[in-house]
Amino acid sequence: MTTDSGSADGDDTIAALATPAGTAALALIRVSGGRSRVMAAALFRGDPAALPERRYRHADYRALGGEVLDDAVWSFGVGPGTFTGEDTLEICTHGNPLIVQLVLADLFARGCRAAEPGEFTRRAFLNGRMELTQAEAVMDIIHARSERALVAAQQQLRGGLGRHLEELIAALLGVLARIEAYIDFPDEDLPVEDRELVRTALADVLRGTERLLATHRYGDLLRDGLKAVLLGAPNVGKSSLLNALVGRDRAIVSPEPGTTRDFIEEMVHVGPHLLRLIDTAGMNPAAGRVEQMGMAKTVERLSEADLILWVTDVTQASADVPVELRPYLGADIVLHVRNKADLAAGVSGGMDGGGFSPALPIFTVSALNGTGLGDLRAAIIARADALRPAMAGDEHIAINARHADALRRARESLASAAAGLGAAIPAPIELVASDVRGALDALGEVAGRVDNERMLDALFSTFCIGK
Amino acid sequence: MSSDLPVYDVIVCGAGHAGCEAALAASRMGARTLLLTGNLDTVAQMSCNPAIGGQAKGQIVREIDALGGEMAINTDLTGIQFRLLNESKGPAVQSPRAQCDKKAYQFRLKHTLELQPNLKLFQATVTGLMFSKGPSGVRQIVGVHTNLDLDFHGRTVVVTTGTFLRGLMHICQNKNEGGRMGDFSAKTLSASFLEAGIELQRLKTGTPPRLSGRSIDFSQMEAQRGDAVPTLFAFHDTRDPEPMFHVEQGLTGREQRLGWDPGTEQVPCWLTHTTERTAQLVRENLHLSAMYSGEIEGVGPRYCPSIEDKFVRFADKPRHILYLEPEGRATNEYYINGLSTSLPFAVQVEMVRSIPGLERAELLRPAYAVEYDFAPPTQLLASLESKLVENLFFAGQINGTSGYEEAACQGLVAGVNAVRKGRGESALIIGRDEGYTGVLIDDLVTKGTREPYRMFTSRAEHRLLFNHASSELRLAHHARDFGLVSKSRLERIEAKRARIEGWIARLEASRPTVGSGVGQGTWADRLRRDQGRSGENGLGGVELPEEFLALGDADRAEVLYRVVYAGYLERERRHVARLQDVDKVRVPADFDFDAVKGLRSESLAKLKAARPLSLGQAGRISGVNPADISILLVHLAARRRTGQG
Ligand SMILES: Cc1cc2nc3c(=O)[nH]c(=O)nc-3n(C[C@H](O)[C@H](O)[C@H](O)COP(=O)(O)OP(=O)(O)OC[C@H]3O[C@@H](n4cnc5c(N)ncnc54)[C@H](O)[C@@H]3O)c2cc1C
Ligand SMILES: Nc1nc2c(ncn2[C@@H]2O[C@H](COP(=O)(O)OP(=O)(O)OP(=O)(O)O)[C@@H](O)[C@H]2O)c(=O)[nH]1
Ligand SMILES: [Mg+2]
Repeated sequence: MTTDSGSADGDDTIAALATPAGTAALALIRVSGGRSRVMAAALFRGDPAALPERRYRHADYRALGGEVLDDAVWSFGVGPGTFTGEDTLEICTHGNPLIVQLVLADLFARGCRAAEPGEFTRRAFLNGRMELTQAEAVMDIIHARSERALVAAQQQLRGGLGRHLEELIAALLGVLARIEAYIDFPDEDLPVEDRELVRTALADVLRGTERLLATHRYGDLLRDGLKAVLLGAPNVGKSSLLNALVGRDRAIVSPEPGTTRDFIEEMVHVGPHLLRLIDTAGMNPAAGRVEQMGMAKTVERLSEADLILWVTDVTQASADVPVELRPYLGADIVLHVRNKADLAAGVSGGMDGGGFSPALPIFTVSALNGTGLGDLRAAIIARADALRPAMAGDEHIAINARHADALRRARESLASAAAGLGAAIPAPIELVASDVRGALDALGEVAGRVDNERMLDALFSTFCIGK
Repeated sequence: MSSDLPVYDVIVCGAGHAGCEAALAASRMGARTLLLTGNLDTVAQMSCNPAIGGQAKGQIVREIDALGGEMAINTDLTGIQFRLLNESKGPAVQSPRAQCDKKAYQFRLKHTLELQPNLKLFQATVTGLMFSKGPSGVRQIVGVHTNLDLDFHGRTVVVTTGTFLRGLMHICQNKNEGGRMGDFSAKTLSASFLEAGIELQRLKTGTPPRLSGRSIDFSQMEAQRGDAVPTLFAFHDTRDPEPMFHVEQGLTGREQRLGWDPGTEQVPCWLTHTTERTAQLVRENLHLSAMYSGEIEGVGPRYCPSIEDKFVRFADKPRHILYLEPEGRATNEYYINGLSTSLPFAVQVEMVRSIPGLERAELLRPAYAVEYDFAPPTQLLASLESKLVENLFFAGQINGTSGYEEAACQGLVAGVNAVRKGRGESALIIGRDEGYTGVLIDDLVTKGTREPYRMFTSRAEHRLLFNHASSELRLAHHARDFGLVSKSRLERIEAKRARIEGWIARLEASRPTVGSGVGQGTWADRLRRDQGRSGENGLGGVELPEEFLALGDADRAEVLYRVVYAGYLERERRHVARLQDVDKVRVPADFDFDAVKGLRSESLAKLKAARPLSLGQAGRISGVNPADISILLVHLAARRRTGQG
């Protein structure tokens, strides 16, 4: 029987967070199954045949796209001497949920799938690594947890996500019905098959799926990090500040005002958060054409910002809040950073007094010698922490890594279906149907299994079938 | 009754399409089998149109042949027109279909039953079931009562009574009892089921009028002819030779089984359509239709609407296509496909005559609707045995299906499993990834049905693997394990498999050395690139090795299918492999779900009601989630480890 190996397909490799989600300082992500070895080698630049076993190693976790997600500690274990009895890769990252989701999404992209509740335990038991009573105890806990997850998922689905998914599924069922009618009822007196209609409808669903993936703020954050925009007059030291926070000279710094003409972006970890720092051209009311254009772009970026660092120069007379910043003052996302503290001894932090409404928190720092940067970092962390619940509970849409994984697979299937239909020699229609069905299954993983009966309903209500 | 009466291993009630396959399968496995039927002159009668096969159904018929059943060969030998549907699409969704000579089909099958060793055929109507309390306190079936006051005793009973349970036919206000026109209604049997706690519900279906051919003006219609090269249902390349056209050896006198060389002297069907006048007649008389006046309480199929339904639900569609199908070579009767109705007879006549070519048509039989009892199939185990009465099996329309093919494949499986049950052996359960038969039975017992269930290819999530030609290769292991086909046929099947796989390997590995394909990768790469570009022989521009072209048609087509579609088929197999992990795990019939710690009470209730026989089936029950499956898996493994399973 296949069951004693725990998995019929030795390649079927699963990944999941092993530590409780949320607050812990460190997170343990476990990968189990036949592909663990090659994945470990690919991730941490090792020779698959000579991976160090059961040794904890420190290394950057680099995503498929090449960006570093975190500095991680990893270890590889060879089955059957592991928890599950299979080859296992363990990756320890910072406990920040964003990092965890990012790493999981990357592991899925590398060919793992999300573990089902209790699957590690199941594999452990089936591979003889665990007694029944032990397994039962673990299962109980898992069940309680999956029950909670179920409740949470249902709550989510009742909201925007569920509505959007339902629209996509309904549209896709319509597409499938239009394809299936011509497959299953070739002798019926159906209207001439309209593949163009199918193509347009598919394209709509594909766009909808992409929108769901993309407009989703949490997904953006996973992909892009938290956006922090550096804003201020020319020459106040914005680029210097970016360099100081990143820890190396990334942006060109010069005593000439207007040095930075375009955006400079850099990913940096601030505490547990991944920050995308965006340096901008200085805001100069009396600027030349090129600068004007740079400024216009800066203003555009502001609307996407999760955090705005308004930089001023302590040596200059107290500046007014730029008009461009006004719309964001109420949102609690603006920090006032007064730079070049080394040039003006005795100036201290606090709240800006009158003039501004509401008052902005002030940080007096020196990009040059590092004064005050610790406080600034702490404030950024606090701000990002405060943002987190807003992301997760966003009434718009909030999907987790598992959802995103499913949506991405739906997108892939839809793209493949569209490509098949659009090819110079169109793919046989039942293959297109197979892709559409793949997409439906993937959406169904999030919204609840889509029964074929619903497709038949759509089919019989669209077409007059029956001789 | 005296106790020295014979006890049969299997008693089959009803010689319809399900009953015939059940009786043949059981007796061919060596079981002492009795087939009781209300009327021996209607054995294997096609109650509705004289056609076998079509989308998904054609594949089922080929699966029946792969499992040693009779429907395929019987169709090939009595078919009068053969067409391969969906020829322009890929092989997975192509289906053979045949018009049959209705009487020849019946007579040949009856003759086959008569000649079958171990099988006793007897005309009697089953009026009730005999139960006893089994050792475990569960009700068991021990035999049947008949209208002749003869009782028959059996270890197992297979019920295949079709549309006959409390069958009630409607033509407008006119009502007649019967399972189909001219036949009886099994009125008392339902009481036996209810007594045993088996729930019954009502379904309905309908059939169009039959016309006299000489009153039809075919010149106003378009002919639809059969394929020059017929696609047959049986696997003639591996089957044991069928003595068919000549006087058979061992038969007495000049006895000769009916049948002819498959595909010869095909006859056409004819296309016509409804008119504005037809629509008007329907609209004006709608209130008289049995289905619209509330006379009928049963639920009808969505895919087989009456003409009333069509004009009401698709009011904007001005006309509907109709097919005239010949009922046989030796009759002038025509079936008018597409004109099911339960309008009054007078309206039917007017309606028929509003159709081009039928202006002077004479009706031989009226259209009617029939309502009947069915036993919701969720009351069955995956083996088709009742959960409520041990050793009692159900197959065919009584399970809520519709269609000859759907009935026949269930009959075959039920026949096999009745024998196995009697012998204390494990049941034949065909996976959803193995064939339409598996999908059908799994859908029935897991989800049940609210309308007469018909198979569609879209019901099979792995249909790409179910091209009709591969049925035999897909099911050979079952045929072997359950002894359903001869050793010599199995050898031929395995040889065929080896040939096909050998050629796939060769095409994947070797490259053309001469001709236009040189330097473009392997033969297989070239074939895939040319996918869809169809040349005369369907091979596109690829010039394949001579030796390959010399291969039999069936083998070559299978090789090409698997090569050209390799990517998709591979994806499908991976999908199956992932599911198999849990799908193949059997749940013992006596498994005590209550003893499993950690199941949610909702899941527990559903599992206890559905009594799944595999974890895959358990997972398809709505409301049972992956965590439940994990828990069950662990328990089942534990059971096996401690030697209880
Ligand atoms: C009016 C009508 C219209 C139909 N229309 C369609 C259609 O449009 N499409 C479609 O796919 N299918 C249609 N069918 C269904 C199709 O005929 C059946 O699905 C198929 O024949 C079922 O096979 P079966 O073996 O289950 O039962 P049946 O073919 O009904 O055979 C039942 C057999 O059991 C015997 N029997 C019944 N009760 C007893 C008893 N108590 N004792 C002994 N013998 C008994 C009968 O004599 C009969 O031989 C229609 C059927 C009818 C009657
Ligand atoms: N003393 C001192 N000089 C600083 C500090 N930060 C920046 N400077 C100097 O200020 C000048 C301008 O710095 P930049 O970082 O290029 O300023 P910017 O705001 O990016 O300027 P633009 O890109 O031109 O808008 C440089 O000569 C820096 O060396 C600081 O904290 N202390
Ligand atoms: Mg700058």
